Amino acid sequence: MNLTYFLFFICIIVCTLIITYWAAKRSNTTNRFYVASGSLTGFQNGMAIAGDFISAASFLGIVGMIAINGYDGFLYSIGFLVSYLVVLYLVAEPVHRLGKYSLGDVICSRFPSNKMRWIMAFGAFAISILYMIPQLVASGFLLRLLLNIDYSISVIIIGGLMTIYVVFGGMVATSWVQIVKTVVLMSGTFLLSLIVFSNFNWNVPSLVERVKELTPLGDAFFLPGHLFGNPIEFFSLQLALVLGTAGLPHILMRLFTVRNTLEVRRSLISSTWIIGLFYLMTLVLGLGTVALLGYQTLIANDPTGNLAAPLLAKEVGGDFLLAFVSAIAFTTIVAVVAGLVISATTAFSHDIFHHILKRGKSTEKEQLRAARWTALGIGLISTLFALRLETINVTFLVSMTFIVAAASNFPILVLTIYWKRFTQMGAITGMVSGLVASLLLVILGPHIMNPDGGWIAREAIIPIQNPGIIAIPIGFLGAYLGTIFSKKQRQSNEEFKRFFIQSQTGIASRRGEP
Amino acid sequence: MDERVLELIRRKKRLLIPNLAIIFLFYFMLPLSLIFYPDFMNKKSFVTGVTWAWLYAFLQLPFVWFMVWLYHVKAKQFDRRMEETIQEELP
Repeated sequence: MNLTYFLFFICIIVCTLIITYWAAKRSNTTNRFYVASGSLTGFQNGMAIAGDFISAASFLGIVGMIAINGYDGFLYSIGFLVSYLVVLYLVAEPVHRLGKYSLGDVICSRFPSNKMRWIMAFGAFAISILYMIPQLVASGFLLRLLLNIDYSISVIIIGGLMTIYVVFGGMVATSWVQIVKTVVLMSGTFLLSLIVFSNFNWNVPSLVERVKELTPLGDAFFLPGHLFGNPIEFFSLQLALVLGTAGLPHILMRLFTVRNTLEVRRSLISSTWIIGLFYLMTLVLGLGTVALLGYQTLIANDPTGNLAAPLLAKEVGGDFLLAFVSAIAFTTIVAVVAGLVISATTAFSHDIFHHILKRGKSTEKEQLRAARWTALGIGLISTLFALRLETINVTFLVSMTFIVAAASNFPILVLTIYWKRFTQMGAITGMVSGLVASLLLVILGPHIMNPDGGWIAREAIIPIQNPGIIAIPIGFLGAYLGTIFSKKQRQSNEEFKRFFIQSQTGIASRRGEP
Repeated sequence: MDERVLELIRRKKRLLIPNLAIIFLFYFMLPLSLIFYPDFMNKKSFVTGVTWAWLYAFLQLPFVWFMVWLYHVKAKQFDRRMEETIQEELP
């Protein structure tokens, strides 16, 4: 590793540890630990949401996908962006009003029971871990490729950092690491986009012409259809992308870190601007990679295309810019995994330990201690898993997370908030059927059952890569069937009215009123 | 008081449901039009050098920003009316 790289990395590690030290002194209550006591402004929270959301898969993966597949790569980002409208219009404000620390709080404000909490906690935990492990594995490979350090050492560094942030600094440290990441990521991609344009004298048509010359697709590069051949796969993926975000616990948890619903809306306004502008820049970087580097060079270095952005940086700015972009990729990964650790921690220590095991009676001190130990445990266990999974391809789990979230959490949230006749039984069957269906479809699908190097070397039983189009309706259907078979549990009009007014306006229950 | 609050919520819903329908329609028309009318989508649009497919994909960005802003404005009005209702109803 040469000195430039070393300095960049040390700089980032030291900066984030200073943030953690500062945050640790402030994380002395559970409210601060889980949600930074709602102290973030809308704009800060918007930056943190973007930092939580834009994973290395977005930054490196989408640039590569655009460089290789042209138009279709860009469609991915559109789905990710529009999903924020679903969050804002359907769930954002009610989730903020009903929940305290976790999604379990939101659902249990209507169906208060231990069973419901177990299931919500399990769902949040499973989704966060499923998302975290592939990120850790990918980070190990990435650092190995970029810095020439051993896979296990890279995983241990990233796993160690995310654990330190959360254990000591809780949500305050996680939020500020994510904000710093957004600033670094946005300025880095902006700088790189400017360099790309300046290489073509700010003339976009000549950039486009050069892309057409250097890609094997020629003119067809700018036409749709290179990534998604099968219309059902294509539609299914778009469906999972647009509904998935509204079920991701680590994103929805960020709606608790602001003071009121006005700030919730401000958070989502800023995050959609940041994420939208970011995806525009990834398009420029994708085109720039082809135009300045050429398709052949990219593929020769890395057939998956994930190294497109770093290679582009090296081409236009030499070692220094490459070191900078690698540092950005590193920050991107630690910010996302830290967000996942805290969401898995909340599911375990708040929902399971405090509410179920201690029946809501543990003291402030006990809760805080439990949360820190949980974060440490989760950090250690997922790092160990990531170390063991070096030889197994787990990248598909990232897109699977969106399907699982859209099939389990999303239906339950929407139906709980809006459907009068919904029952607890319906919520449980919906959650279970969504989770089971999406996981089963993945196991029986071509990601795992594949004669050509799959975990199970056989023809896939369900030959669809993106099973969202089957799994999401199953989640809704499970919730519906559970509801009509449990009519006895149905709440009275009065009960639902109280809940509904609270979810829509924040006016708390007025049980005592005549 | 509940009735007046519920009426306000109903009015908000009447505003937001059509918007939500527009969002899903506008979003899913992009993949659907690419699946069913690929030839048309690959034709040059009225913007020089840009096909309909690219134009539509780019339009999704300002569309998202506009819809977020619209929600923000409507929700602010709703919050103000709710505040007034609560003030009036208080003894």
